[in-house]
Amino acid sequence: FKEVHEEEKSRLVGNVFSSVASSYDLMNDIMSVGLHRLWKDRLVSKLNPFPGMKHLDVAGGTGDVAFRILETLNSVKRRATQDVLEDNLHEKTQIIVCDINPNMLNVGKKRAMERGLGEDKSLIWVEGDAEALKFEDNSLDGYTIVFGIRNVTHIEKVLAEAYRVLKQGGRFLCLELSHVEVPVFKELYDYYSFSVIPAVGELVAGDRNSYQYLVESIRCFPSQETFASMIAAAGFQKVEYENLVGGVVAIHSGLKF
Amino acid sequence: MYRTATKRLLLLRAPSGSNINIKTKARLRFPFLLPHHQNIDNNTCRFSSTSEIPQSSPNQTFNPNPNQHSTSTSTAEEARPQETQRKRRYVEYEDEQARVLQASLPHVVRLGWTEAAMIAGARAVGVSPSIIGSFPRKEAALVEFFMDDCLQRLIDRIDSGEELKSTIPSDHISTLIRFRLEMQAPYISKWPQALSIQAQPLNVPTSFKQRAMLVDEIWHAVGDEASDIDWYVKRTVLGGIYSTTEIYMLTDSSPGLSSLLWSSNLSLFLNK
Repeated sequence: FKEVHEEEKSRLVGNVFSSVASSYDLMNDIMSVGLHRLWKDRLVSKLNPFPGMKHLDVAGGTGDVAFRILETLNSVKRRATQDVLEDNLHEKTQIIVCDINPNMLNVGKKRAMERGLGEDKSLIWVEGDAEALKFEDNSLDGYTIVFGIRNVTHIEKVLAEAYRVLKQGGRFLCLELSHVEVPVFKELYDYYSFSVIPAVGELVAGDRNSYQYLVESIRCFPSQETFASMIAAAGFQKVEYENLVGGVVAIHSGLKF
Repeated sequence: MYRTATKRLLLLRAPSGSNINIKTKARLRFPFLLPHHQNIDNNTCRFSSTSEIPQSSPNQTFNPNPNQHSTSTSTAEEARPQETQRKRRYVEYEDEQARVLQASLPHVVRLGWTEAAMIAGARAVGVSPSIIGSFPRKEAALVEFFMDDCLQRLIDRIDSGEELKSTIPSDHISTLIRFRLEMQAPYISKWPQALSIQAQPLNVPTSFKQRAMLVDEIWHAVGDEASDIDWYVKRTVLGGIYSTTEIYMLTDSSPGLSSLLWSSNLSLFLNK
């Protein structure tokens, strides 16, 4: 494993994502054998979006989660019988995608256009740092961070910021690669991570080092339990986690009051 | 169920050795093998809490909220020195959830037992509607809350003794059933929806348990001392009578509940 100093970490992460931005989605599909789509679907269904929601997706560069939320809301809206909340709440919906890396945001904006969401006023793209968000206290209904919290330098700061910007009753959801404890599967997964992924990274994205970093950062990330206690320490209540695929990914959730 | 006496929450403690006194409440989900595979057993051990005495520390600024439930739950407390200035009113999330559900009930008549009613309730209380995502079975949570609330009211009424004083012993059961069903009368227009929600496979375990408790409570109030097979028979029969009366109530279109309803109920008992 490569030793990395704190100050270096954000620079290295910046480099990683600048270089992989264009093939990020493709690599996701290959590495997770398409499962990442299901995981994100599960995350959004847990979030349970509602019209008029103000939601922030941090480190959501290429927009996967934001698109899913918007599509859920738009499909719900079309079920006209459900639209009993008479006011024009739909216009107040705001889905904000925040990412520290402008290249990822650009890729996201392009994908939004391709999906026909380019003109959607609810979708807002913001460049920002998860450890120092530029949003007001108690202003957001939901906060998600998908495959991003692994890359931040100070996890506690990010959690504290998340707590700060959420409203009373707001939810924090985090989808992240996590630890596998299931005996045989663990060995297979390790083999897959350390041998297959960097090789594929080299072939597809032309960048073996970035994916080597990726795999190592997963191992260095706290376990499900530890992370849950960190979330609770930030002030969240009802902290729960759900393992998917035996622990390869975990969805942690918390409520703010 | 939110207000039953048997509530246990799994407690997660922060690693010891830190000078921060943190006790957190975390519930662990069972591992998922594939997405969309729900473990139903999760629900039965979800709502439980053990009573614990919170440890005190010199830097503590707030005390846990006095708990209106019969067992106390321990709370997550932060005792960091720099937090002492931030005097935060500590609120337990279950109380908040209960508040939201309570506030949603008035909207049910108009909006039905749906998420829309819960969103309206959350807005009324001043809490973000995102909280609804934290209810595992959404509409079912609202229905179950209502059922628990009714049961609690019934128990309170029984304990206060008024209900049974004025009627002859053999009328007790029908009096109690009548009292209980009348609680549903305001929602009668949307009650079929509530019944259908309770009948969904995911919700059946909880709704069955609630009805079993209700029937048990009624028999207990009447002074039943049956044992072995009689216990089951009595409860099953009463459960059946209660359900049929409830369903009959749905078809009853007269303003207020007709006496026909109750007399037919009574005759069922007299024949028993």
